[in-house]
Amino acid sequence: MIALLAITDDAAPPPPPVRAVRSGGLSALCAPAVEHEVTPDALWRHEELLEELMRERAILPVRYGTLVEDDDAAARAVAERRDEFAQGLERVRGAVELALRVEQREPEPPAADVVSGRDYLRAKAARMRTARRLHERFAALARAGEVQPGRELLRAAYLVDRDAVAGFVALVERVGREHTELALLCTGPWPPYSFAEGER
Amino acid sequence: MRDKILASPLDLDPFARDERRLGEALSRRVNADPESVERGLAQLVLTIVELLRQLMERQALRRIDGGGLSDEQVERLGTTFMELDRRMAELREQFGLTAEDLNLDLGPLGRLL
Repeated sequence: MIALLAITDDAAPPPPPVRAVRSGGLSALCAPAVEHEVTPDALWRHEELLEELMRERAILPVRYGTLVEDDDAAARAVAERRDEFAQGLERVRGAVELALRVEQREPEPPAADVVSGRDYLRAKAARMRTARRLHERFAALARAGEVQPGRELLRAAYLVDRDAVAGFVALVERVGREHTELALLCTGPWPPYSFAEGER
Repeated sequence: MRDKILASPLDLDPFARDERRLGEALSRRVNADPESVERGLAQLVLTIVELLRQLMERQALRRIDGGGLSDEQVERLGTTFMELDRRMAELREQFGLTAEDLNLDLGPLGRLL
């Protein structure tokens, strides 16, 4: 069995132990499958490997833990979705993923028994509007943005040009200064995990 | 998070609970403990109920934004959702679950929220 790490259209050989299995102009970047426990450290090692690969080339990360039988199977996996992967690579080329989470410092709206039904919904609506406005502001600096499910006020991923990362981070800091009632956490740069697949 | 934090508040408390969640998620994935099956099933069912509750709530908010609902209807809707919220909290407590536990990654479904 071999592990599928990522798809690329870069012809340069990847650093060992990663190998490229070519198929129709694209390559599946593979590594020997190693039995190991899934631990935070193992995930970080995987992450570091992907980051090393993405420094030199555009990649579409494959879901962690994806195994195929052999090189033929890896080549088939690429061939079956060739056009989709080629488009995906164009979408992410030169960009990285930034993750953003925003939480309100104040606790949730008051307990149910002290507010009316209308106030309850009004508070919810205000929260949704705030989240939408924030997302629009950040998405304006990104190639693409995706709101993800979560308990936070806003949890989102943005696909940001490499040379726009500093500007994006500056916006996060500015919004944090403007809205002292919000806590903003921005992490990255990550491989484009959330943008590896097209619109579903 | 090693060196991945690009911008953060001075204190990370609002986000600190995630570390615990990551550890739990990983151990759940590796060791399915037969004794926790009941709790796991409750978690799954409540997650789906919570998803539906949130969807309905959002739909209601959109209807209110669009106007066309009387004050009385809004009040009734709000009271209903508030009551649902309270019942969900009770059920969570009964099964020893937190709000975060009902936050499974629903894949494509997650986009509905």
